[in-house]
Amino acid sequence: MGNKEQMLKDIGIVDFTLTELTLYLDTHPHDRSAMEYFNHYNRIKNQLMKEFAQRFYPLTLDYADSNKEWRWGMAPLPWEGACN
Amino acid sequence: MQDYLFDEHFEKYPIAMAYVPWQHFDKMYDDLEKAFHYGTIFPELNKPFTGRRCV
Repeated sequence: MGNKEQMLKDIGIVDFTLTELTLYLDTHPHDRSAMEYFNHYNRIKNQLMKEFAQRFYPLTLDYADSNKEWRWGMAPLPWEGACN
Repeated sequence: MQDYLFDEHFEKYPIAMAYVPWQHFDKMYDDLEKAFHYGTIFPELNKPFTGRRCV
């Protein structure tokens, strides 16, 4: 849980971690423990993205499920001060 | 001042070839925010520039 800014920060940090693990796994494709770390943090990122989309707005199109209004389109744009 | 490390161990390698030792994963930082500020999740790659030789 946390407010918007905190969640954005957490998503950014877990995304950085996944990028690092991806770079390592690209050159070590059989390293099991690195894969476990990747799967673990990937699940966490998906949960955060899902929760952020429900509570605020979808950050990426694949979390943009909506029924009343098209939430993806209504989301604030980066240059509209959405991300500080 | 001797600015290179001569090591007879390197005799058997041909000259003018660069070698990068292979990275082995054993553990990563568990504090991800700290890792983010370091710029890496791998302690062995955390080499801050201190203005002189590598730490």
